[in-house]
Amino acid sequence: MKKKRLLLPMFVFLLFIFIMAVMFIVTPKSDYSSLEKRYLEDFPEANLEAIANGEFEEGFETYFADHFPIRNMWVGVNAYANFLVGNNGANGVYNCDNGYLINEPVSDDNRIDTNLGALTDFKDSTKAKMTCLIVPSTGYIMKDELPAVHNEYRDDEYFNNIKTALGEHKINFVDVRSRFKSDAQNGRQLYYRTDHHWTTLGAYTAYEQLMTELGRTPAKKSSFNIKSYPDFYGTTYSTSGFWFNMGDNIELWRNPKAEKNITLDITEGEETKSYNTMYFTDHLKEDDKYPVFIDGNHALETFTNKKVKSGKVLVIKDSFAHCMAPFLAENYNTVTLVDLRYYKKSVSELFKKGKYDEVLVIFGIDNFATDTDLVWLS
Amino acid sequence: MVFSSLIFLFMYLPVTLLIYYIVPRKARNLFLFFINLVFYGWGEPTLVLLMLASIVINYAGGYFVEKCKPDKKKAKIPLIVTVIVDVGILAFFKYGGMITETVNLLPFLHIKTLEVSLPIGISFYTFQTMSYVIDVYRDDAPVSKSLINFGTYVALFPQLIAGPIVRYKDVAYQLKHRKETLEQFNNGVKLFMVGLGKKVLIANQMGAMWDAIRATTDQNGVLGSWIGIAAYAMQIYFDFSGYSDMARGLGNMLGFEFLPNFNYPYISKSVTEFWRRWHISLSTWFREYVYIPLGGNRRKVPRQIFNLLVVWFLTGLWHGAAYNFILWGLYYGVILIIEKFVIGKFLEKLPSVLKHIYTIIIFLFGWAIFFFDDMALLGEFISDLFNPANGIIGQQALVILCHYAVIFAAAIIASTPLAKNIYTKIKDKRFAFALETVFCAVVLALSTASIVTQSYNPFLYFRF
Repeated sequence: MKKKRLLLPMFVFLLFIFIMAVMFIVTPKSDYSSLEKRYLEDFPEANLEAIANGEFEEGFETYFADHFPIRNMWVGVNAYANFLVGNNGANGVYNCDNGYLINEPVSDDNRIDTNLGALTDFKDSTKAKMTCLIVPSTGYIMKDELPAVHNEYRDDEYFNNIKTALGEHKINFVDVRSRFKSDAQNGRQLYYRTDHHWTTLGAYTAYEQLMTELGRTPAKKSSFNIKSYPDFYGTTYSTSGFWFNMGDNIELWRNPKAEKNITLDITEGEETKSYNTMYFTDHLKEDDKYPVFIDGNHALETFTNKKVKSGKVLVIKDSFAHCMAPFLAENYNTVTLVDLRYYKKSVSELFKKGKYDEVLVIFGIDNFATDTDLVWLS
Repeated sequence: MVFSSLIFLFMYLPVTLLIYYIVPRKARNLFLFFINLVFYGWGEPTLVLLMLASIVINYAGGYFVEKCKPDKKKAKIPLIVTVIVDVGILAFFKYGGMITETVNLLPFLHIKTLEVSLPIGISFYTFQTMSYVIDVYRDDAPVSKSLINFGTYVALFPQLIAGPIVRYKDVAYQLKHRKETLEQFNNGVKLFMVGLGKKVLIANQMGAMWDAIRATTDQNGVLGSWIGIAAYAMQIYFDFSGYSDMARGLGNMLGFEFLPNFNYPYISKSVTEFWRRWHISLSTWFREYVYIPLGGNRRKVPRQIFNLLVVWFLTGLWHGAAYNFILWGLYYGVILIIEKFVIGKFLEKLPSVLKHIYTIIIFLFGWAIFFFDDMALLGEFISDLFNPANGIIGQQALVILCHYAVIFAAAIIASTPLAKNIYTKIKDKRFAFALETVFCAVVLALSTASIVTQSYNPFLYFRF
């Protein structure tokens, strides 16, 4: 070969594959991926049987992929590469205007009807006073931020179906769509940019409407000390791979006068722990700060407000209820949140034994459309 | 193991190349033989035994054919025995389930359906080993004196699991006398990068596009459905030809030269031409080892038609143990017969545009048959292609098309020789090496990013 420079492609290629191989071998392995919220694969056990039946090979490939050098950077490169060739949302999250990362709409082949059936069956068998609040999807409310090409958010269709079905069984439906739309138009941030949840302001807005429709007086906005914490990187951020997006702010609305009367019991399995606070500020040190509200997902949480003499409400919910629950605790003596993903006993038993006056159902539309545990309600 | 996996690119390949170039030339085939078995056995080591058996049987077959050869009639016996054993192994492992199911369609028969998992690459390596014994018999190739060399040929990892089907006579000399050069290695890297890019950056994306479009079959509209099957056509071409390019590139890195397997099939102006450009090594194999021995086109017309139908029935069946593949093969058989005996002259007079449109419609239709193994679904899809009741293009199909428009357009352009023609013009320029290097680096980085992302799986519940 006369000219060495012609061999440059070969050198680049060899350099790259050998550097990656060596980096994989020498870099220390972490066992947890905080972005994915999961434990990474351990090195598989190597014995003849595992090799013969392919378990070792499969395990090793997963191990190799999970611990690949600069893995998160590659995920980011892939996300931006797809974005640049016009495939915004390749991994299920749209990169939108003003830093919004928004989940694509749920498929219209979903479980809304099944889950509605679970609610109405529960109503028919318990005869409870029931109110249902469904949170519209971020993409539906923040449609001005969406990219030009996106799948259709069919919240209107879903909400109308839900409203009709619940009406037939005398379940109240709190429809926050119009209030949310006008508030969003007026520049109020009801949803996070980097997470699929609503903001504390979003939850408060819905709480106000909920209490008014139930004939109760919502706590005044002025009674809260609002404190904002920066650098919140939630679920849509970590799913998207758009690492250059800015962090969000998360707000805690705290009412010291009310808080001192409220205790929180968290039940996980057979164990119940009591707390004097509803906020778990240790989680503010993490990237995903949403678990600051009632410590994230648990089977059962009970708020007791000793200053309020009456009112017992059972809330069937997903995590959207977590940042609303502290507001509810100001209006009821007892607020119990039950999460069917983790609570495996009978909810009608719980309702009867606990002598609850009423039932609230609080779900984000995406979860309501995909949840597979609500069917255990009845 | 597949080429487009992290473990191949960043563990198997560096280790293989490193050791291959450290060991002395004499030991290289032995090392290759061993490392091929690791490649093949990865995930299912027991399959190695089947392949080893096939190697030994065909090696022995070749040996006995050679030994009896002074008497051609006598030599036919080991030849026929070996071919029957090869076809038998293939029939058992690949078509056993299909055959028992078919036989059970007869009344009063209840044979237990055979359930064997298909050993990867068996269709490819069985065709290679058969070519060896037949070539030895026909004096087209020398008998292999070394079991290791023969085993290295059969199990050679670049073409082991997805072709091209390399005939023994094409590599017999290289097995013993190849001289690896830096220039050839460098060419191999470039070819490998072209293939990797085709597979990971185009085929996978086109596959995702086709899957997304299929999710809403009945709402896609006529145009949406045609775009869907076109995306599938792109997926299958870039997947397969990308794999062949990677195989040839890897072969180069180890000092081998394999023949090209694809030659821009989608620019063909007739179906006959399409099949001269598509999966060339398979068509060549069937021509040399089935069609010509049957008498080819030296016989009378009815016999020619029969020969063609046999070849295309087998070609279809080779692609998989399902009836739609047979249908697909016969579909092409019939069209080729019509082109050959009926409309060939007429086709030649057509303007080029019409020739292209005709060919494109035929192969897109063919891919629909190829894809749907359920005849009812195939019927539904074909009606989607023509039924205006679903409109021109559905909203969702339009969103998908917009998302993939750039890659789809790139795929269409890359399925023509445009880039190759430009490259031919500039490849001797001073700056060409810089472009090549940038191309390789970008393909490598983007492919790695794409493959790594497949393993990036945020915990499901954490969406809540």
